[in-house]
Amino acid sequence: MLYEWKMAIRFLTDGKAQTLFILLGISVGVAVQVFLSSLIGGLQVDLVNSTIGTSPQITINPAKQSFQNDERAVYINNPVKEDRISDYIDIVSGLDDIKEITAVSPSVQGNAFYNQGGASAPLFIKGIDMERADRIYNIKNRIIEGSSVIDATRLLIGKDFSEEYNLDSGDIINITMPDSQIQKFIVGGIFDLENQNLNSGWAFADISRAQRIYDLGGYISNIELQVRDPFEADIVASNIESSYQDISADNWKDENAQLLSALTSQSSSSYTIQAFVLLAIALGISSVLAVSVVQKSKQIGILKAMGTTSSSASRIFLLQGAVLGLIGSVFGVVLGLGLTQLFLIGTESSGGRAFPLLIERRNIILVIIISTLAGTVSSLVPARKSSKLSPMEVIRNG
Amino acid sequence: MADKLIELKDIVKIYGKQIQTKVLHEVSLDIDSGEFLSIIGPSGSGKTTLLNIIGTLDDATSGKIFFSGKNITDMDNDQLAAFRNNNLGFIFQFHHLLPEFTCLENVLIPSWIKEKRPNDKKLKRAKELLSLVGLEKVMNNKSTDISGGQQQRVAIARALINEPSLILADEPTGNLDSESGDQVYSLLRDVNKKLNTTFIVVTHDRHIAEKSDRVVEMLDGRIDNDYLTSPKKR
Repeated sequence: MLYEWKMAIRFLTDGKAQTLFILLGISVGVAVQVFLSSLIGGLQVDLVNSTIGTSPQITINPAKQSFQNDERAVYINNPVKEDRISDYIDIVSGLDDIKEITAVSPSVQGNAFYNQGGASAPLFIKGIDMERADRIYNIKNRIIEGSSVIDATRLLIGKDFSEEYNLDSGDIINITMPDSQIQKFIVGGIFDLENQNLNSGWAFADISRAQRIYDLGGYISNIELQVRDPFEADIVASNIESSYQDISADNWKDENAQLLSALTSQSSSSYTIQAFVLLAIALGISSVLAVSVVQKSKQIGILKAMGTTSSSASRIFLLQGAVLGLIGSVFGVVLGLGLTQLFLIGTESSGGRAFPLLIERRNIILVIIISTLAGTVSSLVPARKSSKLSPMEVIRNG
Repeated sequence: MADKLIELKDIVKIYGKQIQTKVLHEVSLDIDSGEFLSIIGPSGSGKTTLLNIIGTLDDATSGKIFFSGKNITDMDNDQLAAFRNNNLGFIFQFHHLLPEFTCLENVLIPSWIKEKRPNDKKLKRAKELLSLVGLEKVMNNKSTDISGGQQQRVAIARALINEPSLILADEPTGNLDSESGDQVYSLLRDVNKKLNTTFIVVTHDRHIAEKSDRVVEMLDGRIDNDYLTSPKKR
């Protein structure tokens, strides 16, 4: 094998200009692949993050009971109301032990109205345990006024809501419940969750107070979860559904089918482009080596006269293809990473919103392996030509 | 009497399919080990074809070749490649050195093919061979950076690296001026005497042929004449 390496390397280094050009071609192609995959990857992560990064990825709700469809089901001893989960403490502690789940937050929620000078505004009250909910909503870091502490008297309101009704932390507000009862709260702090709906219509209250005002003592409305891999949310959700009775687990993927199909088609168009770039690289390597076989046919003929076997003669070209693929793709990766940096600098300086490009080591190694394989595969035809060369042809023609 | 190294039996070579040209007509020839044999004849007489068939670069249409008593006619391509690598040395009219390599590397190539990787013993032998042909000073030059006579001498050293029992030379001096031609020729004779290597040299130069042990004259694909230059052998 060793002398075939020597031949392959020497043939490549001898035709310097030719080798450099094809290496440049491979590098540019691979650079495009690296840039494109980190751009699309980063864009997708950013999109997914902004969609579900600070919101529940799975929500556990009470199961919808359908007596009409199942006449045999008779709930006498354990009447289940559709708006509540009963044995939630067991469920929460059970979910806490599941590795794939990173945050578990039980909540009690309901609607209410805020009245000020005759006008009334709907307010969505979410009763939470701050420590648990913070892991999903990242509230503590996004308090812009006051503190994040919630208790029996204090709640948190959104930035837009506070601006609209001119409320500051420390103000006392009256909230009208659906049953016309009026509850008094102190504005403990104002949050900015970077979402207009939440900022203008949500209020976070303490979970026990919420249980009281919605008459849900000992019950909760739902449990919100975040998972380690958001794209596995549906699997985790269906596992949860099968482990617990009387609940249904909804995951973000079902609720964001459109986003997912956009992501999928974005991915597939990126793969298509990458596949064609790879094809172009392979054709480039193949044609350069095909020319090289013709250029080196005399040498191959002499080598064969001296005892080189056909398989060795083809290996000399397979090795060249592999070496071109490997070196070209390593240069290409460096070039591609350079491009991504330039892109970042470019978007930042032009005032665009920079998002982190996703550069995965696994992807880069994969690109190098694939390009090396493509180089080897594309040298099959030239290698075959080389193996079929007859020493006679060459020697006869001088 | 010396051992028979090569035995050709009724070698026929026909070129072409539609229009067939018979270049060799049932040629039979025995060559002894250690012999220095010249094949001469006008162009088109089939002498180079015969040499290529002996060298297994070309295959005979019919007939058999025995090398040290072994039939090599039925070997497959890989066996033939190994056979050439181990037993034969080639010297062509055009030196056919690889331009990508230095003189020393060119001499070593047949040993790389044989042993797959460089080794010190062969490196030493290659240097010895290069000094035998008087080129130790240029051994690290690219093979394209030396004169034609020197290139042909590198080719001779290359043919000798694997210690072959037979060297086939096709017009080895044909491309050289008469002075370098004589030098190359006497070098071949030297090697023949020192290493007892058998030589088959195709030439059209009768002056050179007369200096070998035995001359085979070919005409129209047949052996026309086969004689010893000095009667002391055989």
